[in-house]
Amino acid sequence: MAGTLIVSNLKTDTDNSFIVRSNTGTTLFVANTTGIDVANSFASSSITSDKILTVANTKISGNIISSQITSVANTQISGNIISSQITSVGGSQITANTIANSAIQTGAVENYMNAAGLGFGMRNRIINGAMVIDQRNAGASVGATNSAPYTLDRYYAYAANSSKFTVQQNAGSVTPPAGFRNYLGITSSAATTPGATDSYTLGQSIEGYNVADLGWGTASAATITLSFWVRSSLTGTFGGVVKNDASSRSYPFTYTILSASTWEQKSITIAGDTTGTWLTTNGAGIQLVFGMGVGSTYSGTAGAWASNNYNTASGVTNVIGTNGATWYITGVQLEKGSTATSFDYRPYSSEFSMCQRYYQKCDSFSGAANTTTNWIGLFTLQQTMRTTPSIGQSGVVYISDYVSNDIVQSSASASVVNTGGGGTAMCCYLFNYSGMTAGKIYFSRMINSNYVTFSAEL
Amino acid sequence: MIKYKLVNHNGQAIGIQKYVNDAFELGVPFDPDNTDYQAYLKWVADGNTPEPADE
Repeated sequence: MAGTLIVSNLKTDTDNSFIVRSNTGTTLFVANTTGIDVANSFASSSITSDKILTVANTKISGNIISSQITSVANTQISGNIISSQITSVGGSQITANTIANSAIQTGAVENYMNAAGLGFGMRNRIINGAMVIDQRNAGASVGATNSAPYTLDRYYAYAANSSKFTVQQNAGSVTPPAGFRNYLGITSSAATTPGATDSYTLGQSIEGYNVADLGWGTASAATITLSFWVRSSLTGTFGGVVKNDASSRSYPFTYTILSASTWEQKSITIAGDTTGTWLTTNGAGIQLVFGMGVGSTYSGTAGAWASNNYNTASGVTNVIGTNGATWYITGVQLEKGSTATSFDYRPYSSEFSMCQRYYQKCDSFSGAANTTTNWIGLFTLQQTMRTTPSIGQSGVVYISDYVSNDIVQSSASASVVNTGGGGTAMCCYLFNYSGMTAGKIYFSRMINSNYVTFSAEL
Repeated sequence: MIKYKLVNHNGQAIGIQKYVNDAFELGVPFDPDNTDYQAYLKWVADGNTPEPADE
């Protein structure tokens, strides 16, 4: 067919159809009184987008099937897409930094996180989870004992028998997982099989004030998620527990290390305990314990609350069972909710201050001789401590009147006298001096890296 | 070996000193929330007795 057909007034036939056919009889176009019969028109061709200039607002009353929309050019949607019309967005449809701030209503994200129980502020209830702060040992190795010495800040290492494992910041000098610069490293010092009542553990007790909102011990106990990065020379199933201060409620958990000497991130979700007594003030609210080797008496069934004192799950791998075995951990996070979120990095100054609530050092103080041998003075605490702290010493402490020579203790010896300043100051004795003049003022000399310590650990 | 010694100030007991293998470790206040004091109380409950304070 060739040429042009110009019709000024065309009437439909008796069946109300208007049909155009090619010279071979192929139907090209069909129309009737209701409009264009698209299904029978245009033969095998499609209506390409360049053939549609506009569609009036009310001309599409039904749905455009989603499979028919492969893309919409940037400028083709000038108004809003009603939110109820968006049921899902494909994973690759929103790329980084493409949602403008103005597109998110104020409070939308906050409301979502609160509704999900994720909350803000101190999302991570663990202190020093990134293993950055090591006030006591400054990277030196610490042997675990039955006195449960503190290692990196806030982490104690308990050993039923000494010389079985050590704890050291960045032990072995491996590369930490991405995003971290430090880790806590445990190294087994012997091949040890724990006795039935023996425990070898690493732990951190969380102060009650910092977990009071979880509501444990009530019907509304919140779910928590524990997450951490771990790396071991061993593979297998390892364990730990969360338990209350009285150790009368325990929840053993397990995690699996798949590859030796490889950092792996683990996540354990624990439904909150609706029974038991859980402290909510300055006592131990929740104890987090990682088992390095625990006997049967203190091992329990994983994944369930029990009214027993457990330190790990039954049947797990003992790190101390292999001489020289290593177990490293960092990025420890315990948070409200059933999802492990990204690690909650806090400013160093904040994390350090949080550690100082439990342990701090002081090398700058002043006081006076009480006798020729006893010095009594005032220490200003850098952070209000959890409770009245114990006083310790690193070496012997030098003092001076800054007129004559330094005076030094014959051996370390100190005592708390009382607290003051609303918990921000301590009055203490330092003993074992000689030749002081009673009533005379003496200051700390701040030399030889010796200092006084205050400890109010849980 | 752990032992404790009482400390007096102006004739009154003000705290305890903890010694491990005869080396001073801590001065401990009489504070029930202090875990070192709690350990001392357990040590006493186990039948031990602290050394008296110096005169």
